[in-house]
Amino acid sequence: MDILLQLIANGVLLGGVFALISIGLTLIFGIVRVVNFAHGELLMVGLYATWIMATQFGLHPYVAALPLAVAFFFLGALMQRAIIQPLMNADPHIQIFATVGVGTALANAALMIFSADLRSVDLPWARQATDLFGLASVSRGNLVAFAVSFVATGALIAFLNRTHLGRAIRAVAQNRYAAPLMGIDVNRIYAITFGIGAGCVGLAAAVLAPLYPAFPTVGSFFVLTAFVVVVLGGMGSLEGAVVGALIIGLVESLAGYYVAPDLKEVVYFVIFLGILIVRPAGLFGVRGNE
Amino acid sequence: MVTTRRRPLLAGFAAAAAAPRIASAQGGEIKFGALYPFSGGLALLGDESFRGLEVAVEERNGAGGVLGRQIRLAKGDAVDQNQAIGEVRRLMSVERVAAVFGTYASPLSFAATQVTELQGVPYFEMGAISDPITERGFRYVFRTCPRSSDFGVATVGAVADALAPAYGVDPKSLKIAILHEDALYGQTVSGFQEQQIRQRGLTQVEKLAYSARSVDLSSVIQRLRGVNADIVLHTGYQNDIVLFFRGMQEANWKPRMVIGSGAGYSLTDTARAVGPAFEGVMNVDFTQFAVNEQYAPGVSAFVELYKRRYGSDPRSGHSLANYFGGRVYLDAVQRAGSTDKDRIRTAVLATDVAEGTTPTGWGVRFDEKGQNTRVRPFLLQWQGGRQVTVYPAQAAVTQLRPQMGAAG
Repeated sequence: MDILLQLIANGVLLGGVFALISIGLTLIFGIVRVVNFAHGELLMVGLYATWIMATQFGLHPYVAALPLAVAFFFLGALMQRAIIQPLMNADPHIQIFATVGVGTALANAALMIFSADLRSVDLPWARQATDLFGLASVSRGNLVAFAVSFVATGALIAFLNRTHLGRAIRAVAQNRYAAPLMGIDVNRIYAITFGIGAGCVGLAAAVLAPLYPAFPTVGSFFVLTAFVVVVLGGMGSLEGAVVGALIIGLVESLAGYYVAPDLKEVVYFVIFLGILIVRPAGLFGVRGNE
Repeated sequence: MVTTRRRPLLAGFAAAAAAPRIASAQGGEIKFGALYPFSGGLALLGDESFRGLEVAVEERNGAGGVLGRQIRLAKGDAVDQNQAIGEVRRLMSVERVAAVFGTYASPLSFAATQVTELQGVPYFEMGAISDPITERGFRYVFRTCPRSSDFGVATVGAVADALAPAYGVDPKSLKIAILHEDALYGQTVSGFQEQQIRQRGLTQVEKLAYSARSVDLSSVIQRLRGVNADIVLHTGYQNDIVLFFRGMQEANWKPRMVIGSGAGYSLTDTARAVGPAFEGVMNVDFTQFAVNEQYAPGVSAFVELYKRRYGSDPRSGHSLANYFGGRVYLDAVQRAGSTDKDRIRTAVLATDVAEGTTPTGWGVRFDEKGQNTRVRPFLLQWQGGRQVTVYPAQAAVTQLRPQMGAAG
């Protein structure tokens, strides 16, 4: 029994990690309608940035989170303006090539600069186990990541629903041709949304840095799962991303124990396919939005 | 008038173009290929391996080269199997190398040797451990380093011959679990471990595979905890090793001992990323630098050469293994007296070096398949942030400590 509780705790916390990485992706996916294949590499850049700030300037990774998120906002907006914007009306394949290209360039730049070594932020506090009401033992860093993913998602949902800019972003998502008729500068919205999506990655990187070492290909370890989470939850749906991430996290944890560790991906892809057959737009997706 | 003025100019070009060809025909240089992953995910140890070869070549050049000619290495960057094939073709056809040295990673070696064998170009393997590389009946593929099966023998031997006596228990009473990443490297080594455990009548309680791209190994750890494993034989890369140890810390559980099989377990970076929990962890690998100099004469001289050349300590024993291999093969080419493939084969197979006389402690005696039979990986342990040799006794620099973790 307590092993089951432990597995559920592990799964839920892993889901928190996936959610943190997926919310930025789902925003970009759902609103700018660009499949950002460089998402994982942005995370990698963020992990290195956190590592540099921690080792060179002695900045606590959690303190680095906010400046990093802001810096990534501008980085994302710049990337959208310089690389995606000229291709907004091009064939979707071309956009995919562009983002894949950015990702490859970033990964190899990291390899040139940092070599293939692991760079790890030293924060033993985050890796220590803490007892969860005597039911399960989990790491503090994972608890922090979990909390941050919920707070960030909540804040983003409030922003999208309550503010003028948020409503404008949703309007663009609903109909990118009608929105300009309502006086919305669509291109500006795209840049801002891409920036917010990238900012989420920056935040995620700082929070995850104590848990995962940085190396040039670390992005590819997370990005496939993030895509599954986004499609499972419904593209563009933040609530969907969180629920999708929790499902994947739980399935990974339980299937890894009860089935076999090397078959856990098979299990979650089967569940993924099953859900898509029943709900092609994802759990929280709107039909026609995909 | 115009034409007469042009003639001497053309003649000048012709002379300039012909000049280098004359130089090479006179035999100023002998060119070998160096095929390693220099970029991509394997780049770190690929480059480290290459450095060992480079040191061996420069040393040899300082002593007059081979066959009276200076050696020049033509680098080929093998990121993956396709590129290994492309690059080795380029080395043979464009660079016209006399032989190819490599490769660090087994899949790359598999691919490249298929091509060199067809062309009849000798391939000198110094770092790839997959057994079948020398079991395909190839005539011109040779390997100086140990194989996966040697790792299987050494890891299981470590439990029975070194750890059990240190614990003062019967080896059969130790519950052994095998944990491995699910690609070629992990599958092969763990297969041999399983076979060895069966042969020696030891107790295997679990065998688990996982993808090296995993971002979470908590369920693996719960399984190991569930079977109450005493010893975990782990074959993994770097990131997954870090995840495994962090996961054990989170779960507040660890076995009595973890024994790795080279690669990620040998890297100082891994030890740094894991932290104090890595203290006492054991590993079976190519010869490292904390080895008894009497058994591995020349090892500290190599470290000196390396430091002078690259300005830092070697990053792993891969450079040493390639330095050893490079010296063996260059010596064989010298004895062959030419770059003819059959004379090289005869010279390589005639090599006879006793164990305990080289910087790796390994000897040299090739079998008909081209595999060096006088090699074995040593048992190492992380002590005080360094990896030291603890078994076998003649290579050891210190006693084995049967404790893992900072508390010990």
